Amino acid sequence: MACSTGTCQSGCYKDNNEEEEQVPKREAANGVTPNGNDIDHHHNLCLKCKVNETIAPPSAAGGGVGDGGRFCADCFRGNLFGKFRFAVTANAMISPSDKVLVAFSGGPSSRVALQFVHEMQHKAQKNFDASRDRSLPVFGVGVAFIDENAIYPACSREFDQSIEEMKLIVSNLAPPRKEFHVAPIGSIYSSDFSDGRDRLKELLNAVSDVTGKEDLLLHLRMLSLQKIALENGYTKLVLGSCTSRIACHVIAATVKGQGYSLAADIQYVDARWEIPIVLPLRDCLTQELNMLCCLDRLETVEAINRPCSGINGLVSSFVKLLQEENPSRECTIVRTAGKLTPFHFNRIPETDDGNAHLASQRRQKKFNLKPNESLPPESFCPICHSPLNNCDLPSFSSFEDDQTSAGIFGASCCPSCRFQIVPKEPSSMVQFYSLLPQPIISRAKDGGCGNQRWLREQIQDCLLSDNEDGT
Amino acid sequence: MQLTLEFGGGLELLCDSVKVHNVNVDQGAGEKLTMKNLLAWVCTNLIKERPEMFMKEDTVRPGVLVLVNDCDWELSGQLDTTLEEKDSVVFISTLHGG
Amino acid sequence: MQEADVVKPKKNIGAGRQCTICNQRRAALKRPKTLEQICRECFYVVFEEEIHRVIVDNQLFKPGERIAIGASGGKDSTVLAYVLSELNRRHNYELDLFLLSVDEGITGYRDDSLETVKRNEIQYGLPLKVVSYKELYGWTMDEIVKMIGLKNNCTFCGVFRRQALDRGAALLKVDKLATGHNADDIAETVLLNILRGDIARLSRCTSITTGEDGPIPRCKPFKYTYEKEIVMYAYFKRLDYFSTECIYSPNAYRGFAREFIKDLERIRPSAILDIIKSGEDFRISTSTKMPEQGTCERCGYISSQKWCKACILLEGLNRGLPKLGIGRSRGITTDRSNDMKQSNGIKNIQSKQCGTLDF
Repeated sequence: MACSTGTCQSGCYKDNNEEEEQVPKREAANGVTPNGNDIDHHHNLCLKCKVNETIAPPSAAGGGVGDGGRFCADCFRGNLFGKFRFAVTANAMISPSDKVLVAFSGGPSSRVALQFVHEMQHKAQKNFDASRDRSLPVFGVGVAFIDENAIYPACSREFDQSIEEMKLIVSNLAPPRKEFHVAPIGSIYSSDFSDGRDRLKELLNAVSDVTGKEDLLLHLRMLSLQKIALENGYTKLVLGSCTSRIACHVIAATVKGQGYSLAADIQYVDARWEIPIVLPLRDCLTQELNMLCCLDRLETVEAINRPCSGINGLVSSFVKLLQEENPSRECTIVRTAGKLTPFHFNRIPETDDGNAHLASQRRQKKFNLKPNESLPPESFCPICHSPLNNCDLPSFSSFEDDQTSAGIFGASCCPSCRFQIVPKEPSSMVQFYSLLPQPIISRAKDGGCGNQRWLREQIQDCLLSDNEDGT
Repeated sequence: MQLTLEFGGGLELLCDSVKVHNVNVDQGAGEKLTMKNLLAWVCTNLIKERPEMFMKEDTVRPGVLVLVNDCDWELSGQLDTTLEEKDSVVFISTLHGG
Repeated sequence: MQEADVVKPKKNIGAGRQCTICNQRRAALKRPKTLEQICRECFYVVFEEEIHRVIVDNQLFKPGERIAIGASGGKDSTVLAYVLSELNRRHNYELDLFLLSVDEGITGYRDDSLETVKRNEIQYGLPLKVVSYKELYGWTMDEIVKMIGLKNNCTFCGVFRRQALDRGAALLKVDKLATGHNADDIAETVLLNILRGDIARLSRCTSITTGEDGPIPRCKPFKYTYEKEIVMYAYFKRLDYFSTECIYSPNAYRGFAREFIKDLERIRPSAILDIIKSGEDFRISTSTKMPEQGTCERCGYISSQKWCKACILLEGLNRGLPKLGIGRSRGITTDRSNDMKQSNGIKNIQSKQCGTLDF
């Protein structure tokens, strides 16, 4: 088995993977003819309008500009917005009665998300003003930034300046006016900011694994966004996650043993949260978003964003390398993961609001989402909110001797969080538990739908059988 | 300092297909020879081709096992392991063949 | 008590740590799976017993079965042959074990590794069967490479080998074929299938037994065994194995995915098992098309198409059209993307390069 053991993989793999790649199907999705792909590679005319020059020479297309090598600036912009709009309409992400909160980090992806949501709102407003019956209201838009300065302290002047820049970006958008919420990540604890900050620091310090720490912070960021959305009456949360980002998540989740829950995280819609999350940029590459920011001079605020470390860092450099070697790799990764069966919550729940429903019906194209499962999964991990695989629920023997709330909490987490976030030492576990913010605790108590009860039953059984043995 | 170095699992191909090397490594007077020093020495003196198969950054390439006196170097502090007279160091690649 | 100190005592940092299992002997390695520090003797015990558990828990073998061990002379198959014959004796599996090797006809590579297998035959007392490309197909790899060059040669080799192993297994009249794929290999395959978008292979690449519907099922007793431990075991036991890269795919082991897995292992050794777990847990709808199995009209081997892959490739070679059946060549292959969409899609003979691990 000389080379059948995988060792021979890539030498040969390199020769062939060109043949393996399918033409990415997304063009078909937004109305650009897919069969135009192979032509016109020899001169620099836009594939779509066949009039203007492409933004970048075709040879550079692989090098990291995505569609920039095939389209002129206008068509590129139109194509990118088309992907966004298709994702929004096909998945009924935004209905006229919605109030959407755009999570803004200052980086190019969320900047484009903000821009596109804004353009969509702007058009809706124009239509509204022009229409006679005014039957379709215009959805509202707000912007949120989670300030993690408490965890990664930056120079405070620089930081304040960044916040000012973001405020300016938001306020410079044409009306309707968008509210801008800046919340320190410590505010998931209480309104007392400094107390929350200290507890948060302690909480993160209780996590020894670098990757675990980073992931916990990510989960807390989501809690903060949910909190802002909930407190301010938003009905959807828009994230700027692009194909490249999602590809990294696919690999990272696989590496962390989260194969079961992975399908939940990478769909256009994720309604397991109180405020459903939507990913309208799921089909856009990071290079394309960067390119748009350059072309349209969309201001970004880069100072705040940090590169990831640990497993996440390793994964993102791996994906970057693969993407450089083959520019459709990220799409292929996301396409593969897209074939996994999604969960029942990966669609916008039906609303009672007749008006909105009608409107979204009108817009919504009949689409593919047919979750196989009719039953909701039993429970979610209280930390990362991943659906739990039944066979991963711990056997009762694993916490026979630990029936403290902390111990039971630890046992109700997914294996991945148990490994990289939850402390192993019982005493540090008690401390960790005492530092958790309320939403996570209550999620463990009731959000887990019966998980907790199930665990208690298991403990009861265990206690009974112990007694029997003893007598 | 006299050391016995052994290359296996295909790494011998990087040093003229010789598996066992009895070598004399000089170190500064009073200074301890660590694995870190030894790796640098091996790279300069023994590895004849494709050093990237052996090293990555300042340590051995992931997938290369190192044993100092038949003991996994992960137990003795990896690069900080100090070597003594007549020690034996084995490098085995796990990356070849199956 | 200090019996391990026949190995000369060390004053190194942390050296002289004791084995966490027996608390007596000096630890010799750190297990990637558990991070335990254990001595050689305890390592042999846990290594072998873990494989025994995997065999028992997954019912890989039944008493009285004839089992072929795919033997390349490399580390994995050498350790597999050694451990299986050891466990067979110790735990009375009542198996008839055979070594099965494929001679691709690669001078300076396979002829040398076959010498290793022949020594293993004597060392472990296991009968050896060698099937060669030359006798099965009329071509050696040397001749094939002379004709087609170094591009795509791994496709030929991979397709031919898979079938050669099945034919050899049939000649030996064995019930099952055990291969030396280890945990690192399987983790790598999971990643590669994600990178390639191959959902069908992704769904079955983590199965410990495959091909139960085919003529000869295959199993992987090392599915949960780390490559590091296999190499350590072979080293400590001084097992005789061959470790030269194939001359026709030199440097192939520089694969991105392999490198990534080794990098991961360094910062989180459990990642390898986590990837396998992910592979097992992926929610892949059962309606995902498996190709319908038929038999090749030409040679009778299982095939989802009129002719099996090997026959198409062979036809190309014999007609002097070696591109036949490779990648994009039209005519016989159908468009893959169409294929995937049909619910009953037939897997075409798309080039799956050598190293597709034959799942």
